[in-house]
Amino acid sequence: MLSIRDLHAQIGDRKILKGLDLEVAAGEVHAIMGPNGSGKSTLASVLAGREGYEVTRGSVSYLGEDLLAMEPEERARAGVFLAFQYPVEIPGVNNAYLLKAALNAVRKQRGEPELDAFEFLELVRGKMKLMQMDESFLNRGVNEGFSGGEKKRNEILQMAVLEPKLALLDETDSGLDIDALRVVAKGVNSLRSPERAIVLVTHYQRLLDYIEPDRVHVLSDGRIRKSGDKGLALELERRGYDWIRQEAEVA
Amino acid sequence: MSAATAQGEPLLRYREAFDGRDLSNDAASEQRRAAFEHFLKLGFPAPREEAWKYTSLRRLESRKFAPSPRGLLPDAGALSSTLAGPRIVLVNGEPRSELSCAPDETEGLRVSSLEESLAGGGSAAALLRVPVGGGTERFAALNAAMCPDALLIEVERDARPTQVLHLLLMSCGDTPLMSHPRIVLRAAAGSEARIVLHHVGAGEPEHFVNAFVDVEVGPDAQLHVYRMLEGGTKTFHIERIEATVAQRGRFVLHDAQLGASLARLDVTARLAAPDAAAELTGLFLADGTRHLDTQLRVDHLATGTRSLQDYRGIAAGRGRAVFNGKAVVHQDAQQSVSRQVSRNLLLSSGAEIDTKPELEIYADDVQCSHGATTGQLDPAALFYLRSRGLDESEARNALTRAFTGAVVSRMDHEPFARLVHDQLDSRLLRLLDHVP
Repeated sequence: MLSIRDLHAQIGDRKILKGLDLEVAAGEVHAIMGPNGSGKSTLASVLAGREGYEVTRGSVSYLGEDLLAMEPEERARAGVFLAFQYPVEIPGVNNAYLLKAALNAVRKQRGEPELDAFEFLELVRGKMKLMQMDESFLNRGVNEGFSGGEKKRNEILQMAVLEPKLALLDETDSGLDIDALRVVAKGVNSLRSPERAIVLVTHYQRLLDYIEPDRVHVLSDGRIRKSGDKGLALELERRGYDWIRQEAEVA
Repeated sequence: MSAATAQGEPLLRYREAFDGRDLSNDAASEQRRAAFEHFLKLGFPAPREEAWKYTSLRRLESRKFAPSPRGLLPDAGALSSTLAGPRIVLVNGEPRSELSCAPDETEGLRVSSLEESLAGGGSAAALLRVPVGGGTERFAALNAAMCPDALLIEVERDARPTQVLHLLLMSCGDTPLMSHPRIVLRAAAGSEARIVLHHVGAGEPEHFVNAFVDVEVGPDAQLHVYRMLEGGTKTFHIERIEATVAQRGRFVLHDAQLGASLARLDVTARLAAPDAAAELTGLFLADGTRHLDTQLRVDHLATGTRSLQDYRGIAAGRGRAVFNGKAVVHQDAQQSVSRQVSRNLLLSSGAEIDTKPELEIYADDVQCSHGATTGQLDPAALFYLRSRGLDESEARNALTRAFTGAVVSRMDHEPFARLVHDQLDSRLLRLLDHVP
């Protein structure tokens, strides 16, 4: 589903990704771990199409298409979803409006009819229950005045409503207490399916106790240095990231 | 050397227009002559006059406008208003009963003309008064001299009309005309009324609309004015709203400036007695080559007076907007509260907004705040919306609407709020579709 080859990306003159390779197949859950500054969030941003990142080499193919040639909204409509590390507060644009506009944009692309107000509400209510969110959130501004945990839950709610093919979660676990983490994990797990791929970007192993990955990759200094199964995450938890760097230097 | 010759040609043209009026049967001829002399004395703004720092009237000054003949009929289409209920139509400043639908008098709203009010013992000096000060004093004087009539609307003591009176001020004419609408609003003690002041400008050719709105809000009375400026892509629109608010009275202005080629609005609110309040809020959209200048001034003259000024401005294309909000808290106005907010959004690099909140405080026990911001749409918010599948123009539109949403949602007359919302929406959509 997602095939990243030799990806180089920079912000201004600062090179961040330095030849990253990654293959993610449908039905798989991958975790990308790594120390601060290793390029995890840059990878998520480049995949979602955020401005300010320059790709200088390499390719990203998504379902056979050149992902990097697509506008952010085209990626979203094609089924790519990024759960933001820092969801933006947008006072005056309400959650219900955003959810409905986003859902209908995606449905239109899939050749499905738009949902009417009733069908939409029914769908969203079910997902909100899953995320343990009060319905009053719908009429509030997007993330306006939300706590850190509420913002993250809102990201997963959007993801659950939009049912993307490829979900990227950028440090979704950061700043969450254990209860919120469980709710978020439940939301993510509810989306696991043979047609869907999930990429978790995270600093800590903790999230992986709740969302079990098929593959774990260690990103360090702009490249995947090591890949393995979930045992690798546990080893990282025990030994830290330094040994990966040392191994890389020896190699 | 008279002022007219000192300023040359332009004032002579106005002199000609004034001399062309037949004042022989005009009960207010004295006031009109005095007002006209006052206009001549003040003349057009001199270069670098502070109140006109960002707005040049050279273009207006150089044009020749004839006084509008009476009885002109606008297009039927232009008359079809979306707002239901009682309405009074003024065409080029002249109230037209045959086009109007008078309000139910049992509700305590009385409407009369200048002639009727004078015949009924009204004072010409009061009905044609000229306010003192401000950059538009000259135009208020010109209005008093030239207005074909004045529309007097009185809300009787303790009356609370349920119907909202819609004043539709239209301009029309195939040749360049000037018109001088004059509206006098009097809300007597304990009354509460809502009035829509709806200016609909004409297209080609250029016209000059010079409106004056004289407001008095009595003790414990509330007056809500919903003002909208639309159409008139070639129109010079100058307007002065002069309000005096008595003890515990409240004057509320909701303003939506979406029209004209060059528009200037001066609003002056005098909070003359304890606990009087004024809320002046609105929005302006200076797109294309539109130039919109808004000058607010609130004078706190007594204890416990409260004021709010909150305007949202958008400029796009080569549009230009000016906002100057001023609050003056005089020495006797202890325990007054004044808040000013001016937020502005630039949608293109060729657009410009100059904003200046001003505060003058001569009392020591007051709460005052002011703030002004000018910026562009937040790129992080834009990206967030696009990453959810909204295309760029949709995302821009949502953020722009959110920007004006705070003032639109305060417009508590639903049909008016909807009118503003719909017009703003379609204009923004057109605008944002063309953003590079």
